[in-house]
Amino acid sequence: MRYFFLLPFYFLSLLGFSQDSDYQFDLLDSELVENANAIFRQDEMIISILSKKDLVLRRKKVITVLNELGDQYAMAYVGYDNSRKIKSISATVYDSFGNRIEKIKEKDFQDFSAVDGNTLYSDSRVKYYRYTPIQYPYTLELNYEVSTKNTGEIPATWLFLKDFMVSTEQSNLVINFASPDLEPVLKEKNLEGIEVLKNKTTQSIQYSVGKVRAFKEESLCPSFEKLAPHIKIRPVNFHYEGYDASINNWSDLGIWMSENLLRGRDELPAATISKVKALTSGIDDNLDKAKIVYKYVQENTRYISVQVGIGGIQPISAIDVDRVKYGDCKGLSNYTKALLKAVGVEAYYVHVEAGRDQVNFDQDFPDLAQGNHAILAIPYNNQYYWIDCTSQVHPFGFIGDFTDNRKVFVIKPDGGEIVTTSSYLNEQNFQLTEGLYTLFEDGSIQGELEISTKGIQYDDRFTLADQSEEKIEKHYKKHWNNINNLNVGSYQFENNRNEVRFTEQLSLSAANYASKSGDRLLFAANVFNKQQYIPARYRNRKLPFEIQRGFLDEDKFTISIPIGFGIEAIPEAINIDNKYGSYNLLIEEIDGKIILKRKLLVKSGTYANTDYSGFRDFMKNVSKYDNSKIVIKPIL
Amino acid sequence: MKTSKELMCMVGLFLLTTVQAQEIEFGKISKEELLEKEYALDPEAEALVLYRGQNTYLQSASGITRMITEVHERIKIYSKKGFSHTTESINLYNRGSDREEVRKLKAFTYTLENDKIVASELDKDQIFENEYSYNYDQVKFTMPNVKEGSVVEFKYSISSPFIWNIDEFRFQRDIPIKHLKAELRTPEGFNFKQTQKGFFRLNAKISKKRDHRLGRDVVITSFDLSNIPALKAESHVDNIDNYRAGAMFELVSIDIPGVPYKSYAQSWADVAKTIGSSSDYKNELDKTRSFKNELESMLVGKTDYLEITNLLFKYVKDNTEWNGLDGSSFQNGLKKTLKEKKGNAADINLLLVAMLRYAGVKANPVILSTKENAIPMFPTLDRLNYVIAHASIDGRDFYMDATEEFSDINLLPIRDYNWGGLLVDNHNKVWKHISHIAPKKAENIYSVNCQINEDGFAEGSYKSRLTNHSAYQFREKFKGYDLDEFLNELESIYSGIEISEYDAKNTDTFDGHLTETFAYETENGADIIGDKLYVNPLSFLRIEENPFKTDKREYPIDYGFPFRDRYMITITIPEGYAVESLPANLHMNLPNDLGTYKYVIKNVGNKIQLSVTFEINSAVISALNYLELKEYYNQMIIKGSEQVVLTKSTDEYKESAAGSR
Repeated sequence: MRYFFLLPFYFLSLLGFSQDSDYQFDLLDSELVENANAIFRQDEMIISILSKKDLVLRRKKVITVLNELGDQYAMAYVGYDNSRKIKSISATVYDSFGNRIEKIKEKDFQDFSAVDGNTLYSDSRVKYYRYTPIQYPYTLELNYEVSTKNTGEIPATWLFLKDFMVSTEQSNLVINFASPDLEPVLKEKNLEGIEVLKNKTTQSIQYSVGKVRAFKEESLCPSFEKLAPHIKIRPVNFHYEGYDASINNWSDLGIWMSENLLRGRDELPAATISKVKALTSGIDDNLDKAKIVYKYVQENTRYISVQVGIGGIQPISAIDVDRVKYGDCKGLSNYTKALLKAVGVEAYYVHVEAGRDQVNFDQDFPDLAQGNHAILAIPYNNQYYWIDCTSQVHPFGFIGDFTDNRKVFVIKPDGGEIVTTSSYLNEQNFQLTEGLYTLFEDGSIQGELEISTKGIQYDDRFTLADQSEEKIEKHYKKHWNNINNLNVGSYQFENNRNEVRFTEQLSLSAANYASKSGDRLLFAANVFNKQQYIPARYRNRKLPFEIQRGFLDEDKFTISIPIGFGIEAIPEAINIDNKYGSYNLLIEEIDGKIILKRKLLVKSGTYANTDYSGFRDFMKNVSKYDNSKIVIKPIL
Repeated sequence: MKTSKELMCMVGLFLLTTVQAQEIEFGKISKEELLEKEYALDPEAEALVLYRGQNTYLQSASGITRMITEVHERIKIYSKKGFSHTTESINLYNRGSDREEVRKLKAFTYTLENDKIVASELDKDQIFENEYSYNYDQVKFTMPNVKEGSVVEFKYSISSPFIWNIDEFRFQRDIPIKHLKAELRTPEGFNFKQTQKGFFRLNAKISKKRDHRLGRDVVITSFDLSNIPALKAESHVDNIDNYRAGAMFELVSIDIPGVPYKSYAQSWADVAKTIGSSSDYKNELDKTRSFKNELESMLVGKTDYLEITNLLFKYVKDNTEWNGLDGSSFQNGLKKTLKEKKGNAADINLLLVAMLRYAGVKANPVILSTKENAIPMFPTLDRLNYVIAHASIDGRDFYMDATEEFSDINLLPIRDYNWGGLLVDNHNKVWKHISHIAPKKAENIYSVNCQINEDGFAEGSYKSRLTNHSAYQFREKFKGYDLDEFLNELESIYSGIEISEYDAKNTDTFDGHLTETFAYETENGADIIGDKLYVNPLSFLRIEENPFKTDKREYPIDYGFPFRDRYMITITIPEGYAVESLPANLHMNLPNDLGTYKYVIKNVGNKIQLSVTFEINSAVISALNYLELKEYYNQMIIKGSEQVVLTKSTDEYKESAAGSR
């Protein structure tokens, strides 16, 4: 599942007070240079809400770029569309002595369609200027002003620090509002440890932040948004593409969505209604009906994104989807909801922030800006079943790592609520590998095995069944890149959608697996599930780390060795148990055969920076023991 | 470039229309097509082009001639993955008020429902038009009501005012094509030369036809192709487009009664000469006013041309920045390039040529096509996209590309080594294709000195010395990282070792070799099994994965540049241990002297010395040698996995060893 909808809240976080500053590099505070690829010298946004239907945004950013990695922050671009107009835009480039070297006027900016590869059409456009740096450091100043009637599109976030390895010298946020009812609600996040000047009057709110130092991303660390100091902004009384709203809680927003953007969107042609009724006739149970409808949607529609105007948050109508049989996540969710309604099953439209990284909706901050995807929640027996209507392949009720275990917004006709989606944790993400293999005198191996996967491990594997033979072979050769000369003999898959379990049966062989030393053969007994990942090493780990899901792998193998050979050495049993998980390895000889049993559990959790080296050692040991070798030699 | 105005007048004499006789009729879909479950010739295919028809011809109306391309396509969708083939994007070029347009677009999806064929038409509101970028509009649509098994069919025509640009006819895609017919009609007397590419035989037929309505003859080039396989991507390919089946057309002459004969036929020498007569190359390169003063002091007292060339090459590199755009003609011109200190490839490299000439060096431009731009299949300026500088000093050739930070004289960015280039030497009236611009061999040495302990722990030092493109690539990569990240990356490549005291020298210059040193330690220096230690002498430097996995290969293998990697490893074994066995030495050669591998190991006292040489002598290796190359890697990997066995030495040995100390 890869399908996002785009809210046109692309004021990004990017305007301001004009003054003649000195952008001389030498005068910079060295602490700001440390760990930084770029420095936001001045970063300002002034939002003026002049009326419910008139918002003007002025933005200024002055960025000193220290090296090529910092160029991305000095990209001069501004998005616009039919509602959002660019009133002015200009940029200036300075060299390291603060001398002006280039002035870029509005006409110098190029105009592009902002359509990405997954979108058939969008009315979003971008004005962009590509500056080619001739030396580092250099400083780019960008000024622009945009206006919109959609006060609901007020930028949702102001970051006082823009990214990993970027520092801030001065950052200002100013929000002016013509009357008290236009005042937005603000929420401070991660402001501990930085100096903030705040000023609030009856018609404005101002935040001013001085020096914020850059820090680096570290592997497994929480996402930048979770770490960065920022302000969240949400409108209370606003206008959006012809609709007015007053939102004080999630329930208000649910009612507003239901009564405006979703209203009347669930009508269907009579022919379609009778078709789904016929499909579900004789079935009483709502969940069984829902499964049939979901299957119908999966077989008859596909994902295509078209984004026009309010289409960023409003689904196209069920009638339209029914006609063309495609839609984006909003359109397909709404269509499925309408089909379910036609057969008497209630389902709720859901906003979610999708992606591998789990991001929660903020319980006490109701706004339209959170989320990038839509799914459905079907209430049944006091619980919700979640379905993603953009996937043509996922089993009913299984949402995988795209929308799992996170707070989402369930929109109901009489309100709405924040609910956590299904989670897949630790032993639920299970892989069992069982099999046997024979080692031959020439060092080659041949074996048969069965791998069955559940949970997120299922999610990672089950689409294999739809791949071409060539891709499947490539997959295995990559998956087992520790086995040189791997030859995939035959394979067979079973996708049990009811139990959400995927089974791969394989026969494999590889020449020269064991290495020879004189007349001895030396080989790692654990052929098919070697832990190769060792987390990167930090000399001084600063950030906490997360394992969002965890997993459990179990392996059982019977190994035959060539006749006339005896075991010279066999690894000792290993048992490790710690807060990160556990590892058990037992290799023993029973009646001339070698039996290998292995178990690796990696637990989900959030850990302090000081725990990182312990986790790394754990994984390092696992990798080492997974490589334990057996030596066999001819018996005289 | 042909002057299109002149041609336009002549073509105005004609009025051309098409008479089409297609066997595959639009809208006549059979049940069999809808029932088909897979394509017998490629059962894995997610979709199949059942038919593609293309007709390209000129049409005149009210004195305006346009090139019309009619497209008719029918595609069978076998699986969900094939759905992506039901979205069509048509890019339309425009320049000023001249625009390409799409006309007469009609499209249907056919599905079988209850044994009946159901047609769903693409509605007008499902066709999206978009100003895509500065010079391109885009018309985009996706078919309605698509299911597995559906057949989609569409037709449209593109009307273009750019009548002398016949786009390449592309006959191969990432899905197979069952039947393809394509036709190009050109007025008789306008002679087009056809160039074919790819591995699929095209068998074009040429015929003439009297067009009675016009009272003129037209030349018809037609293709009737069946069962074109899908074009599949493979690793180490220079540019897959070089191997895609297709045909290209260029106007070579006009020969019509009543109009003087005019030839556009050209050899590469002609193309070079034509470029030489364009204003950028003719006069501009000898204008020196804009940089005279700046260079004067630098060149004072300098007489050695090689030294001067070095100085000027460095000067241009230091004082200009490439804006990332290709080009064989100026974007900014010399003056502006100097002032703004940046420009496209032509701005920068032609500036270098002009400066070299000013300093008395025999210097000329060399025009080429980069790897991304594919190989120019026939002589035409249109397929060249880049220019570099050439100097001839004492009969030796020096090629230079000053766009990149780490390029050097005779060490060009890899993209430049594609097809040679065209030398444009106006002064000596030499215009020719040079084919022998090839990358030099990178000679690299990696040495490791390590000490292994009884408990398997090992520590040691590493030193590498890289030259030419290996050094170039290292510098580029190194620059893209912050040092900590670089080391993390390095530790993940050299898995199992922990690196300290890292130092790399010469990383931010472009000339000379690069050296890297670090100390390392690892707990996996040896496997302890029973009372023996098993040591992999190549340790973290061994190759474990064969880059070549498929069983056959159609395209040449492109390494970018030839190289020789030498590994010199010295291992000190723990006290009290003796070598029980060593891997056997190995010497392999690839045919035609394409490569060698040598593995020589010996035990001297308490040390193991290993020397490995791995050499690939040609930047490009023919697909004919693919299986040998794959096996060569295989043997190398097996050899690299072999172990040295150490055993606890007997007491006598210990004593004698002690005695000898």
